Amino acid sequence: MTEAAASPNGSPGTTRVSIVSGPLVGPVLRRVVGMLAARADLPLDRLDDAVLVADLIASRAPAHVQSASVDVAVETGDRTLLLRVGPLRPGGGEALIVDASVPGVGNVIEQLADDVSIAPDGDSEYLLVRLAYSS
Amino acid sequence: MRSSPSSPYLREISGVIGATPSPVRLSLPAKAGNIAVVRRALEAVAEELALPRRLVEDMRLAVTEACTNVVRHAYSGAEADQASALRVDLLPHARGMRVIVEDQGRGLGPSPDTGGPGLGLPLITTLTSALQVSRGAGNRGSRIAMSFAPAIEAA
Repeated sequence: MTEAAASPNGSPGTTRVSIVSGPLVGPVLRRVVGMLAARADLPLDRLDDAVLVADLIASRAPAHVQSASVDVAVETGDRTLLLRVGPLRPGGGEALIVDASVPGVGNVIEQLADDVSIAPDGDSEYLLVRLAYSS
Repeated sequence: MRSSPSSPYLREISGVIGATPSPVRLSLPAKAGNIAVVRRALEAVAEELALPRRLVEDMRLAVTEACTNVVRHAYSGAEADQASALRVDLLPHARGMRVIVEDQGRGLGPSPDTGGPGLGLPLITTLTSALQVSRGAGNRGSRIAMSFAPAIEAA
């Protein structure tokens, strides 16, 4: 994992979704991420990976966000998907990744993503997860 | 089997709503492809609320129409690429859902196809239980607030 200094709000063309922590986070986030992964032309196995990462973020992020909502910005490129999760409280990015570990499997987000980094932003930080497919 | 509207899901979501004005907010570029993203999110919330299928179909149609208006008429050129060009709030409530579609563009105007009012707003009026049309935040663009509630069947 690296520390990045990326813009937390993403570039033009970014889709942002903000969901109040609770039962809607998982269903909404997995559908939005799945839809955008398909549009980024990720193949089916990587699309599944993206949805699994979205599910993990939805279940673990509420414990680490700064406000009452889980905010995710999704940026799509050619067979690339970048998720910016936050604002998270200080240390929240690392804690979220650790929380996503599954006994016997290890850290699922780090295993599925091509790149995982944390971008500090004042008193908060963002977790950046990039999934790509290179043929 | 999905839960009924009086399920713990709905009670939990209703509790969340009491604490915040917008349980789900989407901010997207005003691009045609993003209308499907809004529909997906809408379907996810409707499914979680176990709303009646007929109501969900009405919601889907009305929200698609409102978003299409933004994509077609609100912006020109690169303005549409801004991340918050199209903003959609989904606000479930005890008997249905309120959906607000907002833009920061030109606002509502005559349809370029007909030179007069199009079919969009009359259609939305028919599909909603309540409708409010106003200027967007900062007196820019337009804001369409649509309420959806299941029709009460006659005994």
